[in-house]
Amino acid sequence: MTHSTEPWRLFICRACGLIYDEAEGDPDSGLAPGTRFEDIPDDWECPLCGVTKTDFEPFERPQISAAPQTVAFSKKPGIVVIGAGLAGWSVIEALRKDDADIPITLLSACKGDRYHKPELSVAMSRGVSAEQLVRESAEDAGRRLRVKLITNAFAVGLNTARHELRTTRGTIEYTHLVLAQGSKPYLPKQLAADTCWHVNHLKSWGGLEKTLRAGPQRVAIIGAGMIGCELAEDLNKAGHHVSLINRDAHPLLALLPPLAASCLVDSMVQQGIEHHANAHIAGLEKAASGESYIVLEDGSKLAYDQLIAATGLQTDNRLAKQAGLAFDNGIAVNARSLQTSEKNIYALGDCISINGVACRFIEPIAHQARSIASSILCGDQQSYEHVDPVIRLKTRAMPIVLRGIPKPVGIWKTVTQNQQQLVMEQYVEGEQMAVLTMGLSSGSEAA
Amino acid sequence: MNNTALSNEDESFWDDDARILCDVERVASVRLSAVANSIDQDGYYPADIMGELGQAGAFLPHLKAYGERFDAAINNMSAISRHCGSTGFITWCQDVCGLYMELSGNPALVNRMTDHATGITFGGTALSNPMKAFTNIEAMALKASKVEGGYVVSGTLPWVSHIADGQCCGAIAAIDNTDGSRSHEVMFMLDINEEVKLTKCPEFSGMEGTSTWALNLNEYFVSDAQIIADPARPFIKKIRGAFILLQTGWAMGVTQASIDACREVEVSLGHVNQFLHNRPDELEAELKDLHARIMQLAKNPYDTSKEHMLDVLDTRAQCSELSLKASQSALLHQGARGYLMKSKPQRLIREAHFVGIVTPAIKHLRWEMAKLMSEG
Repeated sequence: MTHSTEPWRLFICRACGLIYDEAEGDPDSGLAPGTRFEDIPDDWECPLCGVTKTDFEPFERPQISAAPQTVAFSKKPGIVVIGAGLAGWSVIEALRKDDADIPITLLSACKGDRYHKPELSVAMSRGVSAEQLVRESAEDAGRRLRVKLITNAFAVGLNTARHELRTTRGTIEYTHLVLAQGSKPYLPKQLAADTCWHVNHLKSWGGLEKTLRAGPQRVAIIGAGMIGCELAEDLNKAGHHVSLINRDAHPLLALLPPLAASCLVDSMVQQGIEHHANAHIAGLEKAASGESYIVLEDGSKLAYDQLIAATGLQTDNRLAKQAGLAFDNGIAVNARSLQTSEKNIYALGDCISINGVACRFIEPIAHQARSIASSILCGDQQSYEHVDPVIRLKTRAMPIVLRGIPKPVGIWKTVTQNQQQLVMEQYVEGEQMAVLTMGLSSGSEAA
Repeated sequence: MNNTALSNEDESFWDDDARILCDVERVASVRLSAVANSIDQDGYYPADIMGELGQAGAFLPHLKAYGERFDAAINNMSAISRHCGSTGFITWCQDVCGLYMELSGNPALVNRMTDHATGITFGGTALSNPMKAFTNIEAMALKASKVEGGYVVSGTLPWVSHIADGQCCGAIAAIDNTDGSRSHEVMFMLDINEEVKLTKCPEFSGMEGTSTWALNLNEYFVSDAQIIADPARPFIKKIRGAFILLQTGWAMGVTQASIDACREVEVSLGHVNQFLHNRPDELEAELKDLHARIMQLAKNPYDTSKEHMLDVLDTRAQCSELSLKASQSALLHQGARGYLMKSKPQRLIREAHFVGIVTPAIKHLRWEMAKLMSEG
């Protein structure tokens, strides 16, 4: 027979889901192993539900996304960490350093591979792929740190009274819970999630990278905050035509004084980046030709091939709300202990707020992780000290280092201004709030 | 029993949730308790008792025409399931079938609703397959083609409950384009007549009295008078949350019955049962929390927001987990007595297993929550 060399196929019963495997046949009904589907007599019946072969259809084995087991199964509740970003893995490293035995489970919405997130806004021009950015696979890290992995899974409910976390892969008990769930892109209502890219995690960045690999494209970046500015330079360097759509007059409005911001804009324009100031998006449009446009409120249109939202982040409040955890612009934590309003539940990283302020920087995460570990393992509830991180903008043509957080009411003074460098200081009632260094000499610091 | 319900012409008669619940509880405790095992194991389909429950008002509070009180409908279902999980399940079938009639807006179906809501006629739901198909778990089983004045539908569904000759069920069939691609789906009221082939299902481990059949259609004609929604998807999107939420009444009833079974032996076995985990007080505390959460969700049954759907799916999953845990505990509490084939814990375990595997099964619920969560 002509099809004898083809691989064995599978057929599924639409009625009950039984799978007919040509390799195995159905010996109980007289179909020898190796009976092709075509050769099954019409009066053959599904051995489970009795329908005939017309109710079968070709079947391909679906992909299973569960993580392989890295540790022996244990029913013992231990510490559960939600989120496999830098914060989640940092806490696990810190816990393992001080306690070799305590059971740890990591719940992650993605594969959980370890990578350095700040690289995402500068990696495109280096020509690396998402796979190359992975420093350690979740599986390797899970084995090394003896962590039970529950990946591609979501936390959907939390019962603090019973110490139970409800997930899409079952309900798990915990002795301590660490929330390191990160934040998600905030999108203005004009931008639907399926119309734009974001670079908030490796998977999405990887999708963008693959798409841009095809060749130079017109990329529109919405939002001129830190990520928007870094990404604009990175994509421009990678050979794309970049338009930065800024709703404000200047980039980094909350951080930079106008003088510094205009230096940054000059630097971007020199590189060939278009900066659209005071540009408010009215909506998106697709022409009959297939061309996509951003429509601005003043009626002007901007054609693009790829659209990236860098419009800020927000913390998902679902779990906190459900469990009655205090939430204030993020999961509210105690500034010294990083404990949430619930005993035995801690939080760190992008998802938290301290005194109502979110702090989405990398620098404090390692301290936070150590503090939480010492709190859980040693009961030391006072070990964290929050300091405003040094903010470094990785715009290589015009690096920026900002120490302290500028206040809206502060007065900026120029200390140094020459071809190579701009140094400014901000004061509120004579007290120094922030020091800003821009240009070449700060480049070495920012590296 | 309770024929006063029928003789009462006052429209506000059905407004009193507490009285309805009291009547439903009476019918359930007196009539259902006595035959629960026979329903579960011998396949006794309790049409007579369903009629009485209908006349007590068990199947109507969630309907718009009767005030859209989902909380009351769920509590009725729970009261019924406390005495017989199979009857609780067909109560859910009856309840959602009533929803299809009312929300179809099709006068021919809306006119059938009052008889259905008061248990004069019966009908179920054949949506297990399409509900799974719509979330990419499996393929659509029924196919329809457009013909003059309606559709003709062919295909097989392996198990559809609460149907019999002269009854009906809501069903969905896919309409494909000539190139094999999917055009859309149509939802219709499948009236069980001589055109519909019902085949006895293989023997189940329990729930035998739910009148569950394999259903085969061969060029079955669906007239305009039977159309619930065309296209079906917007309709399903609207009712999906309500459809799933209603099932919680059934699951809570099975859980409550399990707690009852633990307590039944407290006097004689409490001195040793105190060493068991999942004690009735603990189970009851969890059930109470869950009930409160469900009553809250029941206030907005047609909320289609992602947040609400996640809560409904999670609540339903928790219902399954709790009923499994509680029924297992019931058996352990009753010990050897609970190991007798005809004992109540044996039946409760079978019922709880059904709560856990019927559409949406625990695994489907989690699949769907994961899908919703990953949509951002």
